[in-house]
Amino acid sequence: MRIVLVFAAALCAGAAFAQDAPKGSAERGKKLFVDLACHSCHGTHGQGGGRGSEPTIPAGYPWQGFLNQLRKPRLDMPAYEEKLVSSQDVADMFAYFSSLKAAPAAKDIPQLKTF
Amino acid sequence: MTKARKTTTQTPEDESGLDRRKFLKGAAAAGAATAAAMAAATKVAQAAEAKPSEPKAEANMRGNSFIARPGSDFMLDVIKTLNIDYIASNPASSFRSLHESIVNYGGNRKPEFLTCMHEESSVGMAHGYAKAAGKPMGVLCHSSVGLQHAAMAVYNAWADRVPVMMFAGNGMDANKRRPGVEWTHCVQDPAGLVRDFIKWDDQPASLQHFAESTVRAYKMAMSPPQEPVLITLDIDLQEEAIHGEKLSIPKLSLSTPPQADEKSLREAAKMLAGAQNPVIVADRCVRSQEGVDALVKLAETLQSPVICTGNRMNFPSTHYLNLSESRPGLIRNADVILMLEVQDPWGMLHGMGDPWKDIRRAAKPDVKVIQISLADFMMKSNYQDFQRFQPADLAISGDAQTSLAPLTDAIKRELSSTRAAEFAGKADGLRKRHRDMKERMKTAAALGWDASPVSTSRLSAEVWNAIRNENYCLAVSDRIAWPKRLWPTTKYTNMMGGSGAAGVGYSAPGAVGVALANRDKGILTVTLQPDGDMCYAPGVLWTAAHHKIPLLIVMYNNRGYVQEVMHLQRMAGLHRRDPKTARIGTMIYDPEVDFGKLAQAFGVYGEGPISDPNALAPALERALKIVKGGAPALVDVVCQLR
Repeated sequence: MRIVLVFAAALCAGAAFAQDAPKGSAERGKKLFVDLACHSCHGTHGQGGGRGSEPTIPAGYPWQGFLNQLRKPRLDMPAYEEKLVSSQDVADMFAYFSSLKAAPAAKDIPQLKTF
Repeated sequence: MTKARKTTTQTPEDESGLDRRKFLKGAAAAGAATAAAMAAATKVAQAAEAKPSEPKAEANMRGNSFIARPGSDFMLDVIKTLNIDYIASNPASSFRSLHESIVNYGGNRKPEFLTCMHEESSVGMAHGYAKAAGKPMGVLCHSSVGLQHAAMAVYNAWADRVPVMMFAGNGMDANKRRPGVEWTHCVQDPAGLVRDFIKWDDQPASLQHFAESTVRAYKMAMSPPQEPVLITLDIDLQEEAIHGEKLSIPKLSLSTPPQADEKSLREAAKMLAGAQNPVIVADRCVRSQEGVDALVKLAETLQSPVICTGNRMNFPSTHYLNLSESRPGLIRNADVILMLEVQDPWGMLHGMGDPWKDIRRAAKPDVKVIQISLADFMMKSNYQDFQRFQPADLAISGDAQTSLAPLTDAIKRELSSTRAAEFAGKADGLRKRHRDMKERMKTAAALGWDASPVSTSRLSAEVWNAIRNENYCLAVSDRIAWPKRLWPTTKYTNMMGGSGAAGVGYSAPGAVGVALANRDKGILTVTLQPDGDMCYAPGVLWTAAHHKIPLLIVMYNNRGYVQEVMHLQRMAGLHRRDPKTARIGTMIYDPEVDFGKLAQAFGVYGEGPISDPNALAPALERALKIVKGGAPALVDVVCQLR
C-alpha cells in the first residue's frame, strides 16, 4: 500500500528516533493535533482513515521523519511552515504520539477474529 | 426477459357487464374498505381491463357533479401493467387525480403510495430500491418545484446507471390553469430541467399517447445502460373524463441486453489467454447474482485477480481472486487489463496529485486494455460523469454482464492444455496473496481500536458482529471502506454501492429504498449513515417509520463535512495561512446534532450519541431487536473523522 511505503521512506529518512526529539507536552500536542485538523486524515490515534488513502502514523515513528513530513511533505499533504506550526508545536504533537499505547494486535481482538 | 402483457381496448360500451368504477363505489358503500376488499376490488378491476366499460347513466363531462371515469384511472391501468410495486411521492396538486386513482381506484396496492417529505427523498429511495429489487419504483413529482427538488437525486441515479420511473404533474393548457400558484408551478418543458441526465422523456397529449410513452419509457429505463426516465402528466389529461376513445395498453417486451459481438470476444479471449498477469476490473458490471456467478467463472478460468470498485457487489470478497485491496500492485504489474463497465478507465491507469495536478501513471506504459462497456451509448455532453478519455487496445460495445459467459467460453477455446495448466498453477500463490491481504486489513483495523470517538474500523467490526448471522445487506457501502475490506460478501445483495454522482443526500433515502426492497425478500438491511447526509432530508426517517420499513441505521457521525475540512486545511497550508480555521463552515458543532432524538422525533427508535466503543455492541443489539420486529432503528455513534 502506498501509505505504508510513504512511511517506510520517512522512517528511512529519519536518522533520529524518539530519544532525539525535543521535549514536548503530550497534552498540548493532543489538542494541537485536533485544532490543526491533522486528525481529519490521520485520526486521533494515528490510525489513518477509513478510505485507505489517509496515512497512518505508526508507533515508533521517528522524530526526524515526523518533522520532515510536516515541513517538506511527500505526496499530497500540505507543508506547514515554522510561522504556522512552530518547532515546539511539532515536538508537542510528537510527544503525544510517543505517549500513545500501542494498539492491540488484531489476533487478540475477538471482533476481528470473525473475519 | 420478455413479459407478455395483455393488450386492452377501452370502448364506450361495457360488453362484459363489469364496471370498475361502479364496483369500487359499491364496495366502498358497503363498508368494504379493508385490505381484503381492496385486494378483491383490484383483482376484479384488473380482470375488467380486458373489456372495460364506461358508465352510461352518469355524466362524465365537466359542468356536471361527477367525473365518471377520470383519465388518471386509465393512467393507473397502464402503470399497473408495468408491475411497479411502489410509487414514492411528496403530494402535490398537479397529480392529485392520479394520486386519488392510486389510493381508491387501485386500492393503494401495486403501486402503493409511499409518503415522502422531499422529492430528493422520493428519487433517492427509488434509486436504492431499484438496485436491490432489480426493477424500478415509480416517483411522482410536482411540475417545476418538485422536479427542482428531485434534480440532484436524479443525477445520482443517472451516474449510478439505475432505472427510475419518474412522473411529473404539469398543466399544459394555459387556458385552464388556476390563477396564482398553479401558473407559478407550471412549466412549458418540465423535463428540460433534468434532460441532461435522464435517458428519455415525453409529455403525452392524449391518454393513448400516455400509454405508449409510459411503456416505452419503462422499456428504455430497463435496457442497459439502465437510467431514469420521465413522463409528464398533464393535469387535464388526468382529471378529465375518458370520452369513449379507443384506448389500448401496449405489451411490454423488454429488450434483450446487447451482448458483445463474437469476433471481438474472440479477440479479447486471445489477448487474455496469452497474458502473463491479466487483471479484471469490475465496476458497474453486474446487476444480479447471475452476473456475480458468471464473473467468478471468468476469473477462475483465467486465474485472474479481480478488482471491484465497490459500485456493485460484482465478486465475492471471500473468493481468493478478489484482490481489490491490492489494486496498486495489480495494476502496476498487469500486462492485460479487462475493464468491465468501468466508469473511469483513465483513473484506473493514472493518478493525479492535488493541488499540482501532476499525473502519476499507475500502469505499465505498454499495458493492453480491453473495455467492455455500453458507455458510448449513453453519453451526453453537458454533465461530465463520463470521465477523462482513455483509449483502449480493444474497445467492445456490449453489456458486460451478458457478455461474461460467452467471453469465458471463448477463453476456454483459446486456452491450450499447457496454458490452462499454467493458469491452474497460479491458484496457490493467489490464495496466499488473498490471505495476506485480509491479514493486512485486520492489522490496519486494529489501529485506534479503543479510540474515542469510535474508529471507523471498530464501528464496522462491531456492526458486522451484530449482524453476521443474518442474510444481510449493507444498503450504502461506499461511505466507509472498512466493510468492503473486512465483511465477507458472497451475494450480489450483500452490498449495494453508493450514490453514483457523490451528490450528498443519497445515503439516507437510498438506504430506506434498499430496505423496502429487502423487506419483501426477508433480507436484513443495515446502513452506516453519515451525519451530513442525514441532515439534508431527515424526513425520510418518518417515511421509514410510517411504512414500517425495517432498517438498522448506524450513524457514522463525525460531526462535519470532513472531506471539506481536509480541503480547507490544504488550502490554508498552500496559502501559508492558519489551518486552525479549517473547521469554520465545515464542522457541525455548537451545537452538536443529537441524531437519537432526531430519530425519535420522526417515530423511529433512536439512541445515542455513543462515543465509547465498548458501549456499541449492546446498543446495536437493542436496535437490531427493533429492526427484526419490522421497524427502523437508529444508533448514533460519534466517530473518528475518517
